[in-house]
Formats: sequence, C-alpha cells, structure tokens
Amino acid sequence: MMQKKICMLGGFAVGKTSLVRRFVTNVFSNEYHTTIGVTVEKKTVVVDKEDVTLVLWDLYGEDEFQRVRESYLRGSSGYILVMDGTRKSTLETALALHQTVVRTIGAVPFVSIINKADLQADWEIDETAIEHLRGQGWTVLIGSAKLGQGVEEVFGQLATQIVTPSPAPRTSA
Amino acid sequence: MTDAVSTPDSPDHALFSRVLSALDIVVFERDEESGAYRLHGASPEWWSQCVDPDHRATLDLSRCSPFLQDYLVGRHPAWEGNLGTIEKSGPWTESDQQGGSMTLEASLLSLGSRKLLLIECLGSSFEDMRSIVQRARERVLAEDLTAKLHRNTETQLIDQLEASERTKDEALTLLQHLGIAALVLDVGGLVTFASRRALEVLGITATDVIGQHWEQVLPLSQPDCVLIQSMLEGSSRMESGGPFCLQGPQARWLAVEIHRDLCHPSRHIMVLSDRTELHALRQALHEQASFHDLVGKSSAMLRVYQLVRDVAQVDTTVLIEGETGTGKELIARAIHSSSTRKHKPFIAANCAGLTDSILTSQLFGHKRGAFTGAIQDQQGLFEAAEGGTLFLDEIGDIPPQVQTALLRVLQEKEITRLGEAKPRKVNVRVVAATHHNLSEDVVRGSFRADLLYRIRIARVSLPPLRERREDIPLLAQSLLGTICASTGKTVERLNPDALRVLMSYSWPGNVRELRSAVEFAVISCKGNEVFPADLPPEIAGTPVGLSPSIFIPLSSQDEKTRLLAALSEAKGNRTEAAKRLGISRATFYRRLVELEIRPF
Repeated sequence: MMQKKICMLGGFAVGKTSLVRRFVTNVFSNEYHTTIGVTVEKKTVVVDKEDVTLVLWDLYGEDEFQRVRESYLRGSSGYILVMDGTRKSTLETALALHQTVVRTIGAVPFVSIINKADLQADWEIDETAIEHLRGQGWTVLIGSAKLGQGVEEVFGQLATQIVTPSPAPRTSA
Repeated sequence: MTDAVSTPDSPDHALFSRVLSALDIVVFERDEESGAYRLHGASPEWWSQCVDPDHRATLDLSRCSPFLQDYLVGRHPAWEGNLGTIEKSGPWTESDQQGGSMTLEASLLSLGSRKLLLIECLGSSFEDMRSIVQRARERVLAEDLTAKLHRNTETQLIDQLEASERTKDEALTLLQHLGIAALVLDVGGLVTFASRRALEVLGITATDVIGQHWEQVLPLSQPDCVLIQSMLEGSSRMESGGPFCLQGPQARWLAVEIHRDLCHPSRHIMVLSDRTELHALRQALHEQASFHDLVGKSSAMLRVYQLVRDVAQVDTTVLIEGETGTGKELIARAIHSSSTRKHKPFIAANCAGLTDSILTSQLFGHKRGAFTGAIQDQQGLFEAAEGGTLFLDEIGDIPPQVQTALLRVLQEKEITRLGEAKPRKVNVRVVAATHHNLSEDVVRGSFRADLLYRIRIARVSLPPLRERREDIPLLAQSLLGTICASTGKTVERLNPDALRVLMSYSWPGNVRELRSAVEFAVISCKGNEVFPADLPPEIAGTPVGLSPSIFIPLSSQDEKTRLLAALSEAKGNRTEAAKRLGISRATFYRRLVELEIRPF
C-alpha cells in the first residue's frame, strides 16, 4: 500500500493536532495541549480508487521556544500549512515555514488551511490577505477543526495532489 | 560502557546491565553487516509496552514508530566516526500497548567501531518542560487576546471619536447652515464657541469672542446683564428673555435663550435671535396704534396723528376742537412733545369758571399790591411757559376782557402783569382747546372774531369716541393695563360680551368716561376677566346691537338728572361727581351753570 509522509506545519496553537485528531479519530477537544516534538498518526484514504496511507507528522508549533527541525521535513511527500484566522501573526509564521520547506526539501505539494472558522467574527486574516495567498498559487481552505469543516477536504486535496501531481506548483513564498 | 568487548559472562557485562537498568534506557547496537539492532542488557519495563515481547532482543524497524524508522534511515554524523558525538532525535510520542502514549527520544553515538542506539522514555523532567512551554504559550495567547481586545477597544473608540467628530461637524454645518446665532459658555461664563451667525449678529470676529466673558461680548445695559446672569445661574425661572438692546453705533435688539448643555451641565448654550427688524416693525405698529399717550388706530385718529405731526413742525397757534373727554390736552401735549419746544415747559390752564381778574392774574401775573391779596409779585402762566407751550383749555369760556388781553399777547408777543405798566416779552406757543363751536360764539358775540382767527391758524378736530368705535377694544385693553398697574389688581382681559356692551354704548363722556368705566369694572371684577356685570350700571344696561353709529344726545332734563344723581352719589363733591360721569371738572362746572343746578 502506498504510504505518504505529510507534515503538519504552522505556528503554535493554530490547531494542527486538532485537525489531525478530527481527521483520524473524529474527536475534538476545546482544551489546548501544546505538542512537544512529534506525534505521528496514520490514516488511509482512497485516491483514484487506490488506498493511500497518509502518515501524518504532527510537528510542534513553531515559535520562539521551538524551531522546526529541518530533518523532520525530509522524506515528506507534502505538507499542510495551518493558520489561525484569529491571529494574523500565524500567517507570517506559515509563510516563513513554507520558505523553510522549499529550502529544505524543494517544491512538494502543499495545501493551506485557515482554521477556526467558528470564530470568523474575530478573524484578523481578511479576505485581501487570503486572495493574496491564492494569487501566489496557494490552495487556501477555510476550516474549523471544532466544527469538522474543511478537514476532509484539506487532507483529501493534498492526497490527490501527491498521488496525481498536477503541473508543478509555484513555490514562491 | 567502554570500547572493550564485554562478554555476557564477564563481570563488566553484569555491571553494564545493572547500570543500564538503573538509567531506564534501552540500548541497541547496530550490526553493520546485517543492519540489525541488538539489545544490550535488560530492557526497562516501559519498553515492553512498546514492543512485542517476542521481539525484545532485537529492534524490528518495520514494527517501530514511523518516526524512529524515518530517523534511523538517514545519515548520522555520530555513526560516521565522530567520536564523542551524541546525536539526539528529538522527542516523539509513541502509543503503548495499553492505549496510552509515552514520549521517547533516541540518541546515537559511536564507541570505537560500535554504533549504539539509546532510547529513553522522557519522564517527569520532560513533563515539567512541557508544562513550562504550555504555560508560556497560554500566556502568549492570553496576552495576544488582551492586546487584541485593546486594539478592538481602541478601534471602537477611534470609530466613536470619528463618528463623534463627524456628528459635531455635521451639527456645526447644520448650525451654520440654519443661521442660528449661538454662543457656548463654560462654567465661568467664558465663550468657548461662537457660530458664524452669532459673529455676524454681533459684528465681531471669532478672535474677539473666544475666551471672553459673555458680558464683554454682549454690550447690554446693566439691568439686562443682571437678568441674563440670573437666567444662567438658574435663579430666574425664565430661560429666555428680551429683546435686549445691544448698545452701539447701530442699536440691535436681541432675544436671548439659555439652554443647559445636556452633555456638560456646567456649560450653557446661549441662542441669540436678532429681533431688530421685528422690534422696528413693532415700534412702527405701536406708533401707528398710538401717538404719545393717545391710543387708537382708526383712520380718524391716524389723520389726527398726522395732523399733530404737521402742526408740531410749525410754531403757530393751534385750536383743538372736540367734545369733552376726547383727549384735547393729550393732543396739546403731543404737539408740544413733537415740536422744537419739547425741552421747555408745557403749562396747562383751564379757563372755564374763572372770573376775568383771576384769569388775568393767572395768565399774566401781577405786581405786589395790584389787588387785595396780592402780597407779592407773581409770575403768570405765560412767563412760566417761557420758551414752551401754554395750553388754554375751554378758551371759549374766557371773559371778553381776557380775550382782548390774550389777543394782544398773541399779536405783540408780550404780556403786562396786573399792576405793572411795562410789558414783558414772552416767547410762548399757545395751543387752545374748546368744546364750543367758536364760530357760533362769534356770531352770538360771545367770542372775539379776531381772537378766533388768531388762535385758529392751525386746527385739530378730535372725533368723539362714538365715531371711532373700532378703537374701543384697543383703548379699553390699554386702559385695563394702566389701571391694573396702578391698582395692583390682575385683570387680564375683557370678556367679549363686556366688549360688545362697551362698543354699543354712546360714550357722551368719550375716552374719559371709558376710563372711568374700566376703572369701575376693575374694582368690581372678581376674577381676571371683566364681564358685563362688572361695568357701571348705566353702561351694563346698554342694549347690545343698537346701531352704534347713532348718538342720541341726552335731553337737558336727562342730563340734569344725571348730573344731580352723580352729585348725590359723590356727596356733593363736584370733582368726584365729574369723575363718575367721565367728564372734566370744567365741563361739569359749565354744565351745572348751563342747567342752572345749584351745588349742594
């Protein structure tokens, strides 16, 4: 069976672990538990009638306390950049992490998701910023791990991109 | 552990196993040829939770965590001859067989040619570190949230401020557009804002106003300032007042309204309304409806006012004709007040009922000893009126001798006191009045024709009240106000029925009788409105609806009865009796003589 390593990347407390847990076990917790190191989960999806096991590397959030180790990125078939719509700083972190990935392993498929759509009234990331990202070739989904919104889509779209590569994605940050 | 080979049965090996057991670490050695990982020593308890018991002695990578698989696949400097180098994988979380999880970390090192893999379960110190990071991040998130709330509050305040500024600008624009003259005063009465219209009204610039006390900005009289200050302090119940006269080269009249600023109760908004034009119009209206102390706006009275103005412009003798009580003396005073002699004396003399010697003495004065009782030199009325006006009422009643002397005075402009021979120059304007038809008197021979021609150079005829009934409401209301002011009673108006009665009455005593009737009514009135029952009985009984234009003169017998009744009611006091009848004392005397009534 095909296995694909996917890294979950983003600033701290953006909801990476919540997205993985919602995707893998369909569970959500309102409590925040910071991830130290790496937690690896697996889930098999069907892409083009073929089973693909996604090996999800839920990396700790990037901040001044922890920097993502480039070695964790090696061997990744794709990655998901997670942002928190209520904190504009997480967009900056996502952009920096994207550059790190490109510098480390080159251009691989990725999808971004702006999490916490359930708090959209408090969002700091506005439509202009989203359009700017899309203008750079990013796939930007809006989702909520709490509501389960956009979760299947983000993993599904990335799996599809990995298995059936489309024309080379733009890699500019 | 050393590079020396320790066989399983050597003492070093036993020690090594005990040390590993104490450190709670799993140690594998990588076999370069097979690539297999062989366990050294006893494995700790936790390791049995991670692996199949049958595979504890070796590390089966295919059964390992993907993290460890991934980690061991790569190149590692620690295994490439860099002695002393220990390479750490970083922590990862591994599921155990009980459904829980544990956090592990792998370390790689070389001892000589031997490549070792150490796996440890991160315990309490790791949890402490995780807890610290967790708290730090929660704190960052909380501060983030606080900062965000502050930003939102700031944004809201800025929005509110902008909205407030917009509202202020709009209100200001509206204020300016509406042309409202407004001053905003602070607690100390200093002007903090002046609208454009206020500046226009006051004829000054903003720099002259802002920061100034309102009393400096509004040049008002002291009493007006006191009144407005009391309005500002709330001691006056009034919130508006005026119009007040702004003193200056061109007087302006302003109405002032005081409003308390609801947002800042210590501030006041003073709204100024320019009433100059309104005041001028009212003044003109008032002047049209009255003239000096005369009241009336009938066409007859308007003609009289104009005639008085015309007569006042010249310095000729004037004859005023009119029934008793029509206000002949008021006309005389109006002529005097409108003439260039207005700052000089106005002397009124009643010529009726006086003997020629008394009248001569009164008019021309006398020398001491000129007649019995002349104990000192006495100036006459002509001299007293020097430069001014002498009003001779009932001139038709003066004896022939006095007529002659008066004629000489009018011709020569000089008088001679009784008992003196030397004439004295006088500069007096004579205004005469009579209720007689002097032309008929001339025909009858009771009045000198030449004197008539001399005094009748200018003539003013006063209409009787019955011929200007439209003035009765105005007159009655005016008299009501005057009488109330003098008596202290508060009677505000005349009931329409009472007014109809007044309009229907014939008013033989004219305005004087009307005044007497209103005074009677004010005294009788119990409320604030005069009803027909409050009027004198002879008036209250007047049938309403009779043609008011027809004056039916009283017969001599009727008049005699009225005079006698009045004298009886006044207990013989002729002045009081005349007042009750609404006629002058002189007329009363004259009528007594004419009707041969002997005083009591």
